[in-house]
Amino acid sequence: MAMNYLDLARLAAAEILLVVTALVVLSVDLGLRQCDDLARRTRWAVALGVAGCVSAVVILWELVPEGAMPAGMFASDALTRGVKAGVLLLTAGSLLLSRGIRFTPHVGEYVATVILGAVGMLLIVSSENVLILFLALELASLCLYILTGFDKRSAQGTEAALKYFLFGGMAGAVLLFGLSLVYGATGAIEFGKIAQGVAESGVSPVLLMGLVMVMVGLGFKVASAPFHFWAPDAYQAAPTPAAGFIAAGSKVASFFILAKLAESAFGPAMGSSAWGRFAPGWSPVLATMAAMSMVWGNLAALMQTNVKRLLAYSAVAHAGYTLVAIAAGGPEGLSAVTFYAVTYAITTLGAFGVVGLVESATGGAELDHFAGLVKRSPRLAVCLGIFVLSLAGIPPLAGFFGKFYLFLVALDGSVGSLGLLWLVALGAATTCVSFYYYLVLLKKVFVEDAVMPERAAPGTGVESAVVWASTILVVLLGCFPGWILTPLRSALMAVGW
Amino acid sequence: MNPAQPYLFLAAALFIIGMAGALARRNAILALVGIELMLNAANLSFVAFWRHGPHPDPQTGLMFALFSIAIAGAEAAVGLALIIALFRHRRSVSLEAAESLKG
Repeated sequence: MAMNYLDLARLAAAEILLVVTALVVLSVDLGLRQCDDLARRTRWAVALGVAGCVSAVVILWELVPEGAMPAGMFASDALTRGVKAGVLLLTAGSLLLSRGIRFTPHVGEYVATVILGAVGMLLIVSSENVLILFLALELASLCLYILTGFDKRSAQGTEAALKYFLFGGMAGAVLLFGLSLVYGATGAIEFGKIAQGVAESGVSPVLLMGLVMVMVGLGFKVASAPFHFWAPDAYQAAPTPAAGFIAAGSKVASFFILAKLAESAFGPAMGSSAWGRFAPGWSPVLATMAAMSMVWGNLAALMQTNVKRLLAYSAVAHAGYTLVAIAAGGPEGLSAVTFYAVTYAITTLGAFGVVGLVESATGGAELDHFAGLVKRSPRLAVCLGIFVLSLAGIPPLAGFFGKFYLFLVALDGSVGSLGLLWLVALGAATTCVSFYYYLVLLKKVFVEDAVMPERAAPGTGVESAVVWASTILVVLLGCFPGWILTPLRSALMAVGW
Repeated sequence: MNPAQPYLFLAAALFIIGMAGALARRNAILALVGIELMLNAANLSFVAFWRHGPHPDPQTGLMFALFSIAIAGAEAAVGLALIIALFRHRRSVSLEAAESLKG
């Protein structure tokens, strides 16, 4: 099992470049600290960070070969490269959204933390070994805790970060204990060997216990009910660009690895969540979490008056829809989950971009701050309208096709014969509930008159550009989903699923 | 009886004590201690499975425990920093002081 460090350097070139970028950002910021011009330092830090992300995408396509390190410690194939490119572009987007940051003088540290979090997410995506998976998850999570509490002057931000940390630490410990039970039951920590061990020994009580704990630990990361309590607080109190990063980039990586782990490591212990034919395994666990998330997320969102909290509960509901397809299993499930996670992340990033712009113009993100937005800035209102309709699942936007595909896979998946109809029916019913709160937001934006005085907003060209880019992507991916689906499917074929 | 069994019972007990502490304690530092206890329970169970299991891969369980000790250290650093930040705002490390966010 010899390991060649040159091979590792070539396979992980994008991650290495990002780490170097983080260090460069820190040292350039240190050099510029003398001039004491916050706007200039922010410009430099964000430009360097975005340049690092974009060149990492180029390196991924041009330089990184396909291959894997021994023991599944690092795998690079067409599928992981595509997902990584998505995470990197979302990171670049959230960095651009933070160009106007006023909440901290430590811009260099902020950008470096975002980039290190992105490194953790990339490592999550390419791990095929639960040890590396755990380390990468912790790297990403620790960065996200710090980002949540980055505005040290805000008591609420600190409070949200501490809650996020305490829940996250517990979820991490539950995940670790679950992994130790899986290791005890199968004697392996590689995805492939775990699957072999599970197939040989069958579903023992120890393994089942471990499976449930692993799913709970990962369910926390994707903010599925009943492990979602951190999400509304973190989304509301974190600096808005950081909340966008938590909502977009980290969700893509976590959903992808949850689907991949369930499928490739625990495949033989799937069980069944078909109505009337329940069998123990991970599928019923995920189905339960999916049902709770759809109901709880959508009902709690009805009562929200803060738009960021509303987006958080809508994220819980969307985690539920996504878990439906993971519970259905199979390669089609993975393809649907990846498509949905990516399009959802683009939509949320854009929505947080709009929230950030409204916040800097009116000083808050309550529903009232959005009243009469269409008269103040019609273009921003149209963008927000498109994002919200996509989240609600109105054709021809990306959210509609993604949700349709998820439910189609659930009905047609490896479970077969409409066994998951109960989950899909629940999903459709709760989607109807969700129209209410999405339309309340749209009514505020398009119908009501402004009630909040508006301040002159600082220069916001870059933020608007990110919002526009997301809007265009949401519309185009809804009309032409094949742009993502065709390469995604051929990548899945190439990996051999 | 499997020789690993007493260790696993101890690990499970530590895990449950840690979880009860993390959930029930009102003091942020003691909640952190509870989380550390849960992580250490997982380490103990890794080492027990490694020592008494069929272990085809010689050092896996031990390595896992070593890495997770390092992770626990990093986590404590971030956690204590956040607790200090909370203390600066509220002059208290009680989690009851931290409930302005609701809904």
